[in-house]
Amino acid sequence: MVESLNLEKSISRELDKDVKLMKSNTLKNIKGSLKTYKEEYKYTPLFKKTANKIQINDSKLDYDIEKIKSSIPKNDDYKIIVIDGLYKEELSKIPSGVLINKYSDLSEDMKGEFQKAYRGFDDSKKDIFSSINTINHLECLTICVEKDVNIKNKISIINFTNSTQSSYFRKSILIKKSSYVSFSEEFLGSTEEISFSNSVSEIFLDENSKLDYFSCQNFRKNFHFNSINVFQRKDSISNFHTYSFSGATIRNNLNILLKDKNCYANMYGFYAIKNKSHIDNHTTVDHMDENSISNEHYKGIVEGGSRGVFNGKIYVRQKAQKTNAFQSNNNILLSDNAKVNTKPQLEIWADDVKCSHGCTVGQLDEDALFYLMSRGIPKKEATSILLSAFSSDITEKIEDDNLRKHYEELILSELEGLNYE
Amino acid sequence: MLEIKNLHASIDDTKILKGLNLKVSTGEVHAIMGPNGSGKSTLASVIAGREDYDVTEGKIDFMNNELSELSPDERAREGIFLAFQYPVEIPGVSTTNFMKTAVNQVRKSKGEKPLDAVEFLKLMKEKMKLVNIKQELLSRSINEGFSGGEKKRNEIFQMAMLNPKLSILDETDSGLDIDALKIVSNGVNTLRSKDNATIVVTHYQRLLNYIVPDFVHVLMDGKIVKSGDKNLALELEEKGYDWIKVKN
Repeated sequence: MVESLNLEKSISRELDKDVKLMKSNTLKNIKGSLKTYKEEYKYTPLFKKTANKIQINDSKLDYDIEKIKSSIPKNDDYKIIVIDGLYKEELSKIPSGVLINKYSDLSEDMKGEFQKAYRGFDDSKKDIFSSINTINHLECLTICVEKDVNIKNKISIINFTNSTQSSYFRKSILIKKSSYVSFSEEFLGSTEEISFSNSVSEIFLDENSKLDYFSCQNFRKNFHFNSINVFQRKDSISNFHTYSFSGATIRNNLNILLKDKNCYANMYGFYAIKNKSHIDNHTTVDHMDENSISNEHYKGIVEGGSRGVFNGKIYVRQKAQKTNAFQSNNNILLSDNAKVNTKPQLEIWADDVKCSHGCTVGQLDEDALFYLMSRGIPKKEATSILLSAFSSDITEKIEDDNLRKHYEELILSELEGLNYE
Repeated sequence: MLEIKNLHASIDDTKILKGLNLKVSTGEVHAIMGPNGSGKSTLASVIAGREDYDVTEGKIDFMNNELSELSPDERAREGIFLAFQYPVEIPGVSTTNFMKTAVNQVRKSKGEKPLDAVEFLKLMKEKMKLVNIKQELLSRSINEGFSGGEKKRNEIFQMAMLNPKLSILDETDSGLDIDALKIVSNGVNTLRSKDNATIVVTHYQRLLNYIVPDFVHVLMDGKIVKSGDKNLALELEEKGYDWIKVKN
């Protein structure tokens, strides 16, 4: 697969000397690691489905900008607009206290700061798609939230995939000391053709900072590979909310490294998978030091012909005493040929910790359904009520009232499209 | 109102009801008593339309409609209400929202306009008094973490909200202390009228001191083996179900 890609071409067109070096090192690495990554994609048949979609990004320059403009919500919210991996400043609206630049435009000092994030996470032995992203991405968008900045309103990140082959998105986010920011990211297609998008975001949370991060994924017949790598310093808090509804294949890697003491990470996910979609959530949390908390809860509903995959890993290193780490995954299968593969994992080297993990796979509670129907509620409505109630312990974790309402309504309308037979 | 003829029902090929006959007219209260496993709860579930049970023979006629054609929600909208022996806990759905949906579905089927928020609240407040239930309880998830008594009061509250023609109380009294029993019975008695009917399924005679039946039937091995007035219940309490077995 990798051999058939002309990855050298991506490297030769890179102008930045350091980035070029990073790219060629990554290429060297993945040549030797083709066999080892397969296990992580055990339930996601990549070769059959995606091999011919992985191409070098030849971004079309003749895209219909008016069409893209019309898809951007017309409100005064802060937004970051990206088309095929390239940042569009003229379409974006950025709050003060947030600096957005291409990596290649940064001063040498700032490059130094971002190298913590931009170069620190590439672990090609783990994830081949991140490596391909490293080699193929056209520009790395850097987002810096300055020290002691509190941005109350969320910043939307809207990514457009316009290429008919592959689009690569690369972001490096630095949240400095004692700042707070909330991002809401989505991907929109601007062509009718099937697209392949590959996104890597690296996030560095400095001391005492806080991040809320929402992903809303509705890819229909498209392919999407997403890696978010998070690095947390002491007293920092991260909250991830991932909502997935459809996609030929969606793969989410969410890797959180709790480097210091007293970090807090929450990962909440909900998926309602339909139309023969395949949605794969892989998460890791690595507790490196004492007194940190991680909390992970993914729930999903899968209709016939679709498949969900969950693989969560928690590592508690020897130094990470007094860790609290919780993980659970609950699924409802709506028919006999709906599939879920779930594997919660826990590896603990420390001896004074509180950890739990578990998963359930079941079907709609027939007793509850009969109870609702026996009060006069038709089966379809009763089913919707139960399924949206199932999602409520994920949505209730959204602190912002408007945003929570938005997701509750979105889920309700997505549930109506599910096939129960 | 309700006429059951030669009803046979089974679950997973186990026969439970074996030719049951029962006739209930408006304004009446019928008590169905019987030992464990005699088919009391099955009868209640079959009338409400639970799909786990197969009706293999016989007919249930309700207000001149053949019930076997109707799904549980259609039966409810026709005016049948089942108060559950074990009310189901449903996390994430509040009783208030649930009742609003249910009441408006029933109204819709009668061609009435749905209640708006103010009208609904007014109706709810009125019915809450009946069973002495607090609003906080109703804004919580249905039955989740409720005590036994609270669950049963919630059932009677729902019954009051939906104002059914035929109410079936499936062992509503079991597990209740005397105070809760009085509240529940008082609710049921207040709702009694000449236009509706009640079937009380119970294991114990105690409930019938509070909800006084017009008829008492003894269900054994899937059939009604003896019928009488309220004195039959007292006799049963004294002599036990073996008394009837021996007689037969």
